[in-house]
Order: sequence, then structure tokens, then C-alpha cells
Amino acid sequence: MTTQSHETAVLRARDFWASLVLIALSLFFLWKTSAIPLFGENRAGVSGADWYTSAALVPLGIFGGLLILSCVLLAIAIRSGGAAHALSAVGIGWDRAEALRFTTIAVMLFFYIAGLVPRVDFILASGLLITAMIFGYHGGHARRALLSAAMVALAGGYALIAHGPQAEWNAHSDDWLTLVCWLGLTLPVLRAARQERALRIVPVLAFFAPFILVCAMAFGFRQNVPARGGLIFKQIEYHYYVTLRPLWKD
Amino acid sequence: MDFVLSQLAGFGHAFWALVIDPVTYLYLVASVFLGIAFGALPGLTATLAVTILTGFFGNKIPLDYALIALLGAYVGAIYGGSYPSILLNIPGTAASAATAMDGHPLAKAGRGGEALGLTTTASFIGTVIGTFALLIFVWVLLLISKSIASPEKALLALFGILLSGTLMSEDLVIKGWIAGLIGLAMAMVGLDPLLSEPRYTFGWSYLMSGFQVVPVLMGAFAVPQIIEGLRHVEMGQLAELKGRILPNWQAMRRYLPTITRSGVIGTGVGALPGVGEDVAGWVSYGVGKTVSKEGHKFGKGSIEGLLSSETANNACIGGALIPLLVLGIPGSPPAAALMGAFKINNVIPGPTIDPEIILRVVAILVLASFTMFIMGLFTARIFIRILKIPQTIFLPVVMVLTAIGSFSVGGGINDLYLMLGVGFVAYFMNLMKYPIAPLVIGVILGSLFDETFRRSLFLSDGDLSVFVSRPGAAILVALNLALILSQLPVAKRAFARMKGKIA
Repeated sequence: MTTQSHETAVLRARDFWASLVLIALSLFFLWKTSAIPLFGENRAGVSGADWYTSAALVPLGIFGGLLILSCVLLAIAIRSGGAAHALSAVGIGWDRAEALRFTTIAVMLFFYIAGLVPRVDFILASGLLITAMIFGYHGGHARRALLSAAMVALAGGYALIAHGPQAEWNAHSDDWLTLVCWLGLTLPVLRAARQERALRIVPVLAFFAPFILVCAMAFGFRQNVPARGGLIFKQIEYHYYVTLRPLWKD
Repeated sequence: MDFVLSQLAGFGHAFWALVIDPVTYLYLVASVFLGIAFGALPGLTATLAVTILTGFFGNKIPLDYALIALLGAYVGAIYGGSYPSILLNIPGTAASAATAMDGHPLAKAGRGGEALGLTTTASFIGTVIGTFALLIFVWVLLLISKSIASPEKALLALFGILLSGTLMSEDLVIKGWIAGLIGLAMAMVGLDPLLSEPRYTFGWSYLMSGFQVVPVLMGAFAVPQIIEGLRHVEMGQLAELKGRILPNWQAMRRYLPTITRSGVIGTGVGALPGVGEDVAGWVSYGVGKTVSKEGHKFGKGSIEGLLSSETANNACIGGALIPLLVLGIPGSPPAAALMGAFKINNVIPGPTIDPEIILRVVAILVLASFTMFIMGLFTARIFIRILKIPQTIFLPVVMVLTAIGSFSVGGGINDLYLMLGVGFVAYFMNLMKYPIAPLVIGVILGSLFDETFRRSLFLSDGDLSVFVSRPGAAILVALNLALILSQLPVAKRAFARMKGKIA
């Protein structure tokens, strides 16, 4: 099999699975759309609009169209042998290394966004993410990626579990744990930096990039920033308004 | 002629107002520099540059300055892509993929400085051609668009999504249409625009106002790029740069017809909804190869080939802004990000747009192209150094930029969840060769389509003939149908037979 025909075979196998997912989604949303009044139903004694102004009209067209196109895609995938490939060899065309790479990135991004950003100081959370991502993927070492993902998952998972509800987002135990994870990960980074020059910049980049960004956003653009009560940012904000700002305000 | 002169006078006024404002230069120099750096770094794109800056500047500074930052980055990034194309044989952006065909052979032959000088000049001229077309055609179309009513708007939005889906699909056209429909479906979430009926909110109050544009843009364009780029890539051998980077005016004079033709092609392709600079570059390169006497030299270090692609991809910028400003339909993926900036500033591009904004956009583009030209000639070596930064080092910083940019637009942490969700979906769509631009255009145009489609039916009491009774609407119905029918196997076979007979 030539490379191109192999790629097409993998693509059609993926199309097979994608079309099944799309068909299921279209049917689900068509069912959800059926809950929106279409033919001027009465609601609490008030007559609804006519069919042509109904809020269901356009969604019906969209999901109907999606269902038809998904069926056509399914037919194309089956005709091109996609079903056979999909059922015989899982068929998404990923090897072990690629699956590991994607999974570790997904874990890092999930715990960063869902766990760390809302609860943990932005500089600490982002410093950990930058260190983990550079250490994990620079040079393509699978074990480093696993270690990095584990560190972010540990910090993010703890923040999610220990301080889940919004009322607890200002607590600081997750900030401290994130700091420990960040410093813990910086040690192997510094050790590896002896051989890989590019890694030498990581500690500086991991601190200053989020520091500059969050300060620019909060004090330059005067916008809301995540975790205002975070361990470091709280101090920065206090000293900005109490120590620094009076210098030019007065 | 009077019309053109009055336009030029209006442009002159807007240009002068920009030139005498010192703050202009602060945003312009910074954004063009950032844009060129984004374009030069393989793994970052022009769309990403405009998207990230939309998160940062979109609604935090006055729109006038936000436009300088976004357009400056747009112009810079399209040009910046030529650096790695020429020196590394890796296109910095998709727009400069065709540039690598002749740029790298020239660099290998020790003519890298000359090639960069030529691309800098061609990009400058290309941007000016596109901008001039924008200045003239936008007004002609604005006059026509005054007679555009709800049926035409609905059909135009549909045409934009379908055309973008058709032209941006790498694999099956049907995938582009599916992407467009997914975008439209996403736009249906929230309170509907006519009756305020909640749709697909699943009891989550955040969804009542629908999907916000900036997190969707960030998710669709930034997250997949970051996931894809975080892998070990052996940096190619940087071609040694010999000679000074200077414009070769002799070559410019000689290839003036090529530059003009490429500028026109780039502008035309840009004006097609959703079709970006990459298509413009390749179409112009293909046409150049066919019509040129030196066509056989294309791909072997031809200056004409280099100028064909590089002029067209920058001319595309002005072209892409024509449908955006006149009809509210983005002409390219970066223009879609620009539309996001307009939307969060409550400016609705389209027939009712303030003419002052158009003149300002034109003036900014001209000033940005000047800045790009000067930076290209005098600071090129800085960008060549930037080329050496591995993407595993800068992409994590981009992720942090994306997160804080998306958070600060207004929706807070929910916007970040949305961004991440859209990002993972877009990554898998990329993997399966679904184009992302139609999805984003669908999200942006979805509410317009929904509102105008139903309003048309409301005004006609449910009579569907409203979509064919007006000449403009009838033409658009015919175009939409032709686009769909042309993809049917029967039509494709008929086209192939016709082509065979002609040949």
C-alpha cells in the first residue's frame, strides 16, 4: 500500500467513526429541537408564533442538513473501505507515542483550565504549565511528558477536589502545592539544561511571562484577571495600590 | 473619476489624522513587529496573531487603536511567513507555502538577501494594491448593498458558509459543509433573536447569551495549533543569508505586469468569503506558471514565481476586508478574527457601517504596509534570529496568552471552558481534515442567518417565494443551488466530460 493510499484509508476509517458520531449528535439535537414549539402551540394560555417565525425552524434545517450530510459521509466512508479498516484496526491512525503525546497534553490543559486557573494564583499556575510543557515536549522524551502531566494533574486535581466550590477558591493550600510542584519540576529542568541549552531559559520564562501578562492585564488594561486573591498576585495588587500608585498619584 | 477623487480625499484626511497622532506609532510598530514574529515562527499563524490580539486589545482600548493593532499584526504576519519559507523551506504560515517553492532555491543559491528584499517589496506593493481595491470597491458595493434586505442577507450568509466550506476543504467538500453546519448549530445556542426562546442551554445560565466569539476563535485557531505544535521537530538547516536585504527595483520594473496580475488575483481571491491568503498565493502561483514565458523555471528559484505568490498573499488582505466591511462576511480566517473584534465593540460590519471606519481601515493598512516595508528592510536579521526559537519553547507561552486573553473578554472562567471544549473539537476536526474556517464563519454568521431568514418569512407571511421574487435574492438562490449541485457526482462527471471535449 502506498503512503497516500494508506493515508486515505486511515482518513476514511476516521470518517466512518466521525459520521456515526455526527449522526448520533444530529438525532439528539433534532430530538431536543422538538421541545421548541413549531406550529404556534399555546404556552400558559398564550398563543405561540407561526411556524415560519418559530425558534425551531432554522435549527431543524441545520440539524436535518447535518444528518443528511453525515449519512452521505458514512456512505462514502463505507464505499471506500472505511468501515472495514475501522472495525479491523481501530482505524484512527495513531501510534502509541502519538496517543501518549495527545493524552498528556489533554491532561495538562484540562487540569490547568478547570483546576488551576480559577483557584490558584495565575503566575504559579501558568509557571507550572510553561515549565511542564517545555520540559515534557522539548526533545520528545515520553517519560518527561508523563512526569510533567502528573505534576500538573496533581496540582490541578488537588485544587479541584480540595477547593471545588467557588466559595473556597480563595483558599491558599492549592497555591502552596502548585508552588511545590513547580519547583519540583524545575529541578529536573535545570539538570537537563546542562545538556540542552534551550532549557536554560525555562525558569525565567515561566516566571516572567505570566507575571508580565497578568500585570499588564490588571494594571495596564484594567481588566479582570483569574484568581485575584492568589498567593502572589494578592501581594502584587496590594503593593501596586498601597505602595507604588501613591508615588505618582500624589 | 470624481468618485475616485472624493474617495482619495477622504482617505487622505483619515491618513493625515493617523499620521499626526503619536499613539498610532506605538501600536503600529509593536503590532507589525509582533505580527512578523508570529508569521516567522513556524507553528504560529496570521489568524492566531489576530485572534490573540483580539483577546488582548479587542475591547480594552478604543476601537480606533484596536484596529491599528489588529491590522498591523495581520499585515506583518502574512509577510513574516516568507522568512522561514525562504531560509528554512518551512512555510511560517500557510499563506507563504507557495513562496517556499522558489524562495528556498534562491536562498540555497546564495541569493537569500535578494529573495527577502524582493518579498518585502512585493508584500508592500501587494498590500497597497489590495488596499486600493478596498478603497474603491467597498464604496461601489456599499451603494449596491443599500438595497439588500433580509432575504438577500440570509442567502449571502448561507453562500459565505457554503463557499468557504467548498473552497477550504482539503479532502471532501462535504466536510467543509459539515464544518459550516456545526458552526451554524453552535450559533443557535442561547436565546433566539426574534422570540427570546431559549435553545440548547441545558439549564446553564451562561449559555443564555450564546457562545461568545472570542473564546470560540481562541479555541478554534489557537488550541489545535498548540496541541499540534508541541512535538519534537528537528530544526532544518537555516540557509546562510548572503547579501544585503534591499529592494531590487530593476527586477520590480521588469516584473511589474506579474506583480500587478498577482495583486489583482490576490484581491479577487481575498474577496471570496472565507477563502484565505494561502489559496490566493497558490492560485496566483499557478496562474503565473501557466501564463509566464519563464513558467518552466518555477520551482527552481524563479523570481517571477516568488513575486507571484508573495504579492498575492498580501493583496488578499485588502480583498478579504471587502466582504467583511460591506456585507459582514469575513473574507479570510484572520478577517473572521477581526470581525470578532468588531462584534465585541458593538460595531456591526455591513451596509450600515460608519464610513469613517472604512476610511480609517484603509489608512491603517497603508501605514501598516509602510511600517512592514521599513521593518523588513532594516530589522530582518532580528526576525531571522527569532526563527531559531523552537516551537516547544514558545507555544506554552502562547497557551498562557490565550488563556488570559480569553478570560478577560468578559465571560470569565466559563469562557475558558468553552475555549478548551472548542479547541479539542477543532483539533480532532483538523485531524480528520475538516476545515475550521467555515465553522468559525458559521458561528459568526449564524445569528444573522437565523434572524434574517425568519424575518423574511415573517414579512411575507410564510411565503417562500420571498427568496426568489427579488432579483438579488433570486441570483443568490441560484448561486447557492449551483454551488451545491456542482458537487453532485452527476455534475462532476458532466464537468469532466465537458473539459475532455474542450481539451
